[in-house]
Amino acid sequence: MLTIALSAPLILAAMGGFTSERGGVINIALEGMMLTAACVDALAAPKFGPVGGLLIAIVAATSMSLLHWLVTQVYRIDHVISGMAINAVAAGGTNFLFLKFGDEARKGNLPSLPSWFFYTIAFVAPVLLLFYARQTKGGLRLLAVGSDPDKARLMGVQPIRVRFFGLLATGVFTGIAGVELVAYTGVFTDNMTAGRGYIALAALILGGWRAVPALLACLAFGFFSAIQVQLQGTAILGVHVPTELWAALPYLVTIIALAGFLGKNRTPAGLGRH
Amino acid sequence: MKGITKCFGAVTALDSVDLDVAAGGIHAVVGENGAGKTTLMRVLYGALHADEGSLELDGKPVRFGSSREAIQAGVGMVSQHYGIIPALTCLQNLILGAEGGTILNIKAAAQRAEALAKRMGFQFDWNSDASTLSPAGAQKLEILKLLWREARIMILDEPTAMLSPADASALFESLDRLAADGATIILVTHRLPEVLEHCNRVTILRGGKRIDEKAVADTTGSELAQLIVGGALDKPTTHRQISDGKTALQITDLSVKGSRGDLALKGIGVSVRSGEILGIAGVDGSGQRELFHAIAGLVKPTEGNITLDGVDFAGLSAADRIEQGVRVIAEDRHEEGVVEEWSLDENAALGLQRLSPFAKGGTVDSTARHAMAQKIAERFSTKHGGLNLPMASLSGGNQQRFVAARALCLAPKLLLAFQPARGLDLKGTQQVYDGIRAACAEGAAALVVSFDLDELLEQCDRLVAMNGGKLLEPLDGQSKDRDAIGRLMVGAH
Repeated sequence: MLTIALSAPLILAAMGGFTSERGGVINIALEGMMLTAACVDALAAPKFGPVGGLLIAIVAATSMSLLHWLVTQVYRIDHVISGMAINAVAAGGTNFLFLKFGDEARKGNLPSLPSWFFYTIAFVAPVLLLFYARQTKGGLRLLAVGSDPDKARLMGVQPIRVRFFGLLATGVFTGIAGVELVAYTGVFTDNMTAGRGYIALAALILGGWRAVPALLACLAFGFFSAIQVQLQGTAILGVHVPTELWAALPYLVTIIALAGFLGKNRTPAGLGRH
Repeated sequence: MKGITKCFGAVTALDSVDLDVAAGGIHAVVGENGAGKTTLMRVLYGALHADEGSLELDGKPVRFGSSREAIQAGVGMVSQHYGIIPALTCLQNLILGAEGGTILNIKAAAQRAEALAKRMGFQFDWNSDASTLSPAGAQKLEILKLLWREARIMILDEPTAMLSPADASALFESLDRLAADGATIILVTHRLPEVLEHCNRVTILRGGKRIDEKAVADTTGSELAQLIVGGALDKPTTHRQISDGKTALQITDLSVKGSRGDLALKGIGVSVRSGEILGIAGVDGSGQRELFHAIAGLVKPTEGNITLDGVDFAGLSAADRIEQGVRVIAEDRHEEGVVEEWSLDENAALGLQRLSPFAKGGTVDSTARHAMAQKIAERFSTKHGGLNLPMASLSGGNQQRFVAARALCLAPKLLLAFQPARGLDLKGTQQVYDGIRAACAEGAAALVVSFDLDELLEQCDRLVAMNGGKLLEPLDGQSKDRDAIGRLMVGAH
């Protein structure tokens, strides 16, 4: 159960990465979008209830996501730079917002939707995205634009439009992911995403930019995080393993797994291209 | 199309060009590189916007803001570099942009695709990745894409540039059939025999202007050639007698692993004498690429030796080999030949930066580089808007001229030319091969790969063929025998 709880935000964020990166938009800003959503939810939920908080958080994450679209697609700024900027704005902005307005929310026990709500979305979304990519017009166009925007354009597909909807979906997914974090802990803390956006991105890459393998990769990361929580401080075979090593475990697994999967390159060919 | 004008910066690519195409039949658009053929077609297809001029379709004025609108009006285009996305399946490529519903009906699509393919006499495995298609297969898929969209006007830009002779004639068979069914086909080409054999009318462009339009029945090849070039063509250089030069390049028993782990070259042995131009015939993917990469030092052979003028290449890096006089006219200009964002100046030194006169101490001498760039641009009269402009501002043919001239500029010892005249017209082709011959007259050896057998027969001193990673030499006295080489190309003896 702990595994599922720890994987759910990763899965949601990874699916957000999917709709963005399969369309050819590099998105390292998943982290910032999640963080924004978490903060906005923590501020809005006491006033507007759990559903209102969720919706407002989704709007906040989506506006970050569409900012990424505007900057990379309309103004054609480098995708990584835009993503870093968004992460920086989110880190500083949420800190500021929460210090300024967040007194009563800080006490914890924010109103939130039940966890099964988030888990259901997290496990249904990859299957829906699989169907979307294989069986729908929008999915085909998303993959085409992600593989070769120029050729797609020649076939009458408008990359800028396809990517708009891709990033819209990214905003929704990362929004839900951020709210899930707050729902799980009941509080918002500074920089509470703690790199989950990046781990989700790593899971997406590990899954070869495919929805269901990415889901499995997220579960694996969730599993290793769960192990870390359970085993922290215990000795194995008489050797005391420092906490830091357990904390590093998911990241180590990422590196090893990525190295093992590098042989087969599934990177969308149009990633970062206009 | 009436009075179409299009400028790129200071360069006028099209100067008030008219084009009248009657419905039904094949209409050819011919001209040299940079004459504006492709630009004109891209305007018609809505991919470029004309600065001036108007378009009429079936007597009604139209304006295409994007390719999307052109497709809706029934105009389809197969571009020089195919629009096939390798990551998608053949079927996905076919229906992309014209899916016909939010949820795809894959079954119905596959049925219609199969029916279209049958009508044209093609065969496809619809669910396989498009990356597995041969150039000829990609070309066929492109044509089906037009049919899928029910295009009434089909634009084909240099459709035979990548095809073997047999595939090219099969292509024209299908085009003739389409034209007979009432389709209007616009064929952009620089191969005059195609025009004379298969087209009804021909429009000649030169330097962005429409020179003339003729019924093909009323004209001849030499008249067309004159109209294209705007003067009499130089006679092709007659073949030289090669003095018994000493062996320059010697390859023995060379094997190279391909990208999929199987052997891409299987024990190749060949020698080229100094002063000789050796043509390598064969369809695309027979191992030509790997052979060139092995000689240039980009891949490590699993077995075998390469020596140039007695120097063993084993252990020499690509840079060392360039120092030994190896020069490459690369197959894929964009990938291996130029950096498109760099200026012509910078591209002039690309690959040669360690050699005199480019190198000065540890840096590149920009004065010498500029002078050299000027010489390179002048050699095959590359049309450009300034040497400080990026490579991307040049048309494909002009980039090719630049790349070819660069390979010839510093006394090459061994030329590796992969389709050196790719995308070039008659005059440009002749110039480039004359350049290669001149280098060989000064003692260089040349290896030339082309998929155009006639080009090789005309330009090379001796031919060999490659098939399935093996290099096959014709019997004595048959080294310029079209039939013998053709048989070797498909692996028969």
